[in-house]
Parts: sequence; C-alpha cells; structure tokens
Amino acid sequence: MGKLVDRPEPDVMIQSYLPEVWNGMKRVSKHFFANLLMKKGYVTIQYPEQKIDYAPRFRGNHRLMHREDGTVRCVACFLCSTACPADCISIVAGETDNRDVEKAPVKFEIDHLRCIFCGFCEEACPCDAIRLDSGEHRVPAFTRKDEMSGKEDLLSRGGPSISKQGGEFK
Amino acid sequence: MPTLKIDGREITVKDGTRVIEAADALGIPIPRFCYHPGLPVAANCRMCLVETNRAPKPVPSCHDFCGDGMEVQTATEKVIEARRAVLEYILLNHPVDCPTCDQAGECDLQDQYFEYDHKPSRHAFRKAHKPKARAIGPRVVYDAERCINCTRCVRFCEDIAGAPQLRQIQRGEKAYIDVFPGTELDNPYSMCAADVCPVGALTVRDFRFKCRVWFMKGTQSVCGECSRGCSVRVDTYKNEVQRIVPRHNPNVNQYWACDAGRTAFHSFDEGRLEAARVRGRDTDFDQALDQFAHDLEEALGKGLTPAVILSPFMTCEDAFAAISLFKTKAPGAVYSIGGREDGEADEVLIRADRNPNRAGLKMILDSFGIETAPIKTLHEAAHPVVIAFGYEFEERNYAKMAVQAAQLSAVFASMDVIGDVETYAFPAVSPYETYGTWVNEFGVIQRVRPAVKAPEAAKQARRFIADLAERLGAPLGDASLVGIFGLMTEEIEEFKGLELDAVGPFGIKLWEDAADVEAETDAGGDEAEPEEAAKESGESNKTDSAEEA
Repeated sequence: MGKLVDRPEPDVMIQSYLPEVWNGMKRVSKHFFANLLMKKGYVTIQYPEQKIDYAPRFRGNHRLMHREDGTVRCVACFLCSTACPADCISIVAGETDNRDVEKAPVKFEIDHLRCIFCGFCEEACPCDAIRLDSGEHRVPAFTRKDEMSGKEDLLSRGGPSISKQGGEFK
Repeated sequence: MPTLKIDGREITVKDGTRVIEAADALGIPIPRFCYHPGLPVAANCRMCLVETNRAPKPVPSCHDFCGDGMEVQTATEKVIEARRAVLEYILLNHPVDCPTCDQAGECDLQDQYFEYDHKPSRHAFRKAHKPKARAIGPRVVYDAERCINCTRCVRFCEDIAGAPQLRQIQRGEKAYIDVFPGTELDNPYSMCAADVCPVGALTVRDFRFKCRVWFMKGTQSVCGECSRGCSVRVDTYKNEVQRIVPRHNPNVNQYWACDAGRTAFHSFDEGRLEAARVRGRDTDFDQALDQFAHDLEEALGKGLTPAVILSPFMTCEDAFAAISLFKTKAPGAVYSIGGREDGEADEVLIRADRNPNRAGLKMILDSFGIETAPIKTLHEAAHPVVIAFGYEFEERNYAKMAVQAAQLSAVFASMDVIGDVETYAFPAVSPYETYGTWVNEFGVIQRVRPAVKAPEAAKQARRFIADLAERLGAPLGDASLVGIFGLMTEEIEEFKGLELDAVGPFGIKLWEDAADVEAETDAGGDEAEPEEAAKESGESNKTDSAEEA
C-alpha cells in the first residue's frame, strides 16, 4: 500500500487560473534560460553521441554463456522455458559429445517479440547458461524473423562463466 | 481375514496381504522405491519403513504381512527420521543431474527428497563414478550413477517378461545393473523395465531428450498393435505424440505393454492422405462425396452388389454405422474384414492377431446375421463396386486386388498407400485421433480417445458414413458417438444395458470364455488398487465431458 496524501482544496488564487499560468511559465522560463546560459549544465544529454550507463541489474539482450572449451553451458533442461511467462523460449534438445553432460540444445531460440525481459529464465537456469546482463538494449528490427535470436546469436554475446557446474568434486 | 489398524484406521484384508497394500487401499501414502504392485517383493530399498506393535524396530511395510490386531504407524518421528536417513544414504552417490535426466518430473527420488530430506548433501568426498549413458539394449539406455539398485528391472525381466537378461553386478557403492556379457536387453517388453525404474537409471531411447514430462498431456486410450488392446496413456505435446506408456488395467494388461505397441505411433504420421481424391486428382471432400454418392446410387440402381471391406482398426461405432447404412441401401452387399496379417504370439501379452477390434466387428456382424467373405479370395469374385475402410492396415495385396478389379471403388483411409487404383479416396483419422470403443480378443470393451487433433481434411468414419447416408437419402439420425452407442445397445445382444460413461479406465468385460482363464493365468491376475482406479476414472470423466457433441 502506498501512502495516502490528502489533496488540498484549491484556494482562490488557484481557482482564478491566470496566476497559476504565470507561475508555470515562470518555472519553464527559468529552466530554459538556465540551460541556455549553462550556469548549471544541461539537464538532458546529447543522446546518440552520449549515452547513460545502465545500472548493473539492467536486463537487456539475452546471452548464452560458454564453458572453458567454448561450447554452450546450456544442457537443455527446459527450466527457462518452463519458467517463462511469455512462452518465448523454444529449445530442441540433442546429444552432445561431452559425456559429462550428455545433453545440449540443438536449437535455442528466443522470440524477442514475445519476451518481456522479466529475468525469470536466468533465475531458473541451474547452469548459469542464460543471462540477461549483456547491458545492450534490445534493438528493434524490420521483420519478425530478425526478432528471433538463435543459438549462434546468443552465444556470440556470451562469455565464459566462472560458476562451477555439477558440484565441486567433479 | 486379519483386521489391522493403520494410523488408527481399521481395515480388514485378505490373508497374505502386505502392509503397504493395505495402506494403499486406505489411501495412506508410504514412500517406496523397490516395491511395485506387479512385481515380487525384494524389500531392499528400506524406504517404506513403518512402526508396528510387533517389532521393536521399524519394519519394511512392503515385506511385512498383515496380521490380526496389528497396529501400524506410518508417520511417527522415528519412522520419518528412519526414512530420511535411508534417503540420505541412497542419495550419497547420486549425481544429481536432474537437468539432463529424462525422468525429472516423474522421479520418485526427486519427490521423496522434497518430502523427507530437503537438505544439501553432507557427503564431502568424491562421488563414486560408474558407467553413464550406456545403451544396454536397442530401446533402453542405462545410467549406473543414477541407479539406486532397487532391482525392479531385474525382477521385471525375470518374472514378467520371462527373459532374465539383467543382473546386479558388484556390491556396495560399486553395485550396478548390467546385462550378461555379449547379450543385450532386447526382450519385447524392455521398455517396461525402464518404466518400472523409479529413478532415471533406465530410460527409453525412443523418448530420450524429446520432451520434458511436465509439458505433456496424457490421454487414456488403447494400444492398437494386437488384439489384446493394452490400456495405454498417450502423452502428447504440441499436438504430437511423444510417447506411449502402459496404464494399469487388471482386466487386460496389468501394468505392462510391449515395445512394438509403444513405438507404433511413429508410423501413423508418415504418408498421410492429405485431401480427398477423385481418379487421382485432389478434390474438396464434400464435392468428392457428392460425386461418389451419385455414382454409388447409379451403380445400386443397376442392381450391382457392393463389397464392403471393413477394417479391424475401425471403432465399433464406425463399423455399426457402416453396416447399418449398407444394410438398408444395399441388402445384398458382401462384407469382408481386412486387417494386418497374423504375427507371432507370446505368453505374456502379444497376441497373434495384430488388429485391435476384430472381435468387436465380428460381434456386430453376427448381430446383423452377416457372414463375412474371406479377404484373401475377395478379388476373385471381381465385385464391380468396392468400398474399403482403413485400407492402410489391410493385407494390402488382397484388398488392393479387390479395389483394382472393381469398376467403382472408394477407399476411406488415413494413409496414402494405395496409388491410383481406386476411383475415390477419402482421408480418415488415425487411431490416435479417434473417438470410439474397441473390443479386445477377450471381450473387454475399452474406449479409444483422441490424443492429437486430426488434420483438417480427415474425418471420422461415422461422420463420413453419416454424410454419405444423407446424400443417399437414408439418414442415420444421430451420428455422434453417444447416439450410435445408444443404437448399438438396442441392437446388439452383448451391449444390452451398457452405458458409454460406464466404460471406465478398466473397460468392461462383455463375455466370459475359455480364453479368459488362460489370460488370467498369463498375466498373474492381481487386484486393482481402489485408489488408483478412482483417480483414473476421475481423469477420464474430465475428458468425457468435453467430448464431441
């Protein structure tokens, strides 16, 4: 529950309209001249050239992490697609040569048109394979097909993960 | 008849009942790994420990017989601590690779861990490593690290499948299950050995990594591989059959099903007939039916007698609708039953007749007083008009020859294996898309339910018959499943007094005969668990209410 705030009844000054318009114009003009004369610096930034750093917890483009040998960490356990509320992750599992894990995704596709960037997938992942910490904002695309990220695309954004897989005494 | 108390609830059971069976009948949960109602008792997992007034220490309830005046406690502190300790010991060397394990989601070990232990491992040493992902048979893969050595699979192969192929090797933490050197687990029921495995040690190769179990939707249906008609559950995901697992039915198959029946679904999607065809050209279904009805009417007007080849894959309702129509419109019609050729029978489940509903068809034909012509000589008579159902399963050559010999022929089939010999071809639903009833060789009527949605063009046979009947000016009336079943209960002796909703998960036995006795001795003939039965009928009622109007 948020805090309830009593709204004051508008007094005569507010109800008479014109003084409030004057007050508003005064504030806008103050900011305008302050920005123009650069006494305090700009309030806004020069966007395409200049960018704000996102907070570390920002959830951007998905990425798939690597093992030491560069293969995908994902073992196709489907926990991310089970947790996904938007049903945007489609995985096809297959065998892998790595006998320790046996299973790896043959196809791993994220439909960005459906994704709501809630981060449930990275929370559910038992292997630290999928992450949303790339820090990149999702770039819009012209076709629906471009909005699908495949395994190669997701891996190209990924890096090695230092978390241990399968317990300490493997 | 001992009377005992379990957790304060009294129950009277037959002599020789185990405590765990009595508890199951009362619906009191006792965890278990090695005990299986269809297998002999081994009592080696010690998970089902309970306290009784007969022993100072907890005893395994799967091994202890019920005695008069016995008092059993299943949930005391001592029992729970004992189970927790047993579970910790079982989990000592478990690799905990649930993310890659196909059993995850239906794994007893997972369930019991959450129920009893729920603590991280205290085992601070290197875990024992054993063979992983070994294909010990053509249809089963084995992972020794996951194995808890309950020996369910060993007992299954020895006592049920009659093929003692598995053994426990080594002792202690090195123990694992293996086949004898130079052999493999290849008995016709090997996939059931994977089913009885309470953990993910034995898994089915056909289903390996295909789908996680919690995504799938189960439909209670019947296997069509042979005339035993095993009760099965068809698991589907995204309108595709993923696997078929046996369902407990004391009247038919107990807990088991053969590998052939469980992998048969692969062939049902290949080469489907996509659209109705008239003389080799794809046509709209209704248009083709209009033309066929017109041609048939003309042929009947000339006094030609049609030959109707029924398929033993048709449901009773479909066959009944077909026979009712042709009986009124073409009284002189010749009937024949096609179907797949006989194979080898065995002493466990598989029957020689590889068709699910021959008994049902014969029953319906008998009630109409119709003699069937043998399919093998049908083409010699060169019937001018041939109407064949379910052609894909028939002794292809004989039925094809009959169709070839005809001037006017119509084939109603789900698969396109016929070439261009027929005049008309209509797409039908496959056995995994159909509603109806099948009667097995021993007279058990069971319901077939659609697990997947049929392709748009495909039709259920009785709908096709109803549409044809309307065009021929002899409407069938209510062509729904319930409607035709109602007609059948009036016309057919064996069906009298039967209600569709009364055909539960175990089916209903329509007649008793000599084969029954044989069947019972075959499969062991043990009793149904009331709890499981109630659960299953509850599930089936849910699907029934949503059934076609």
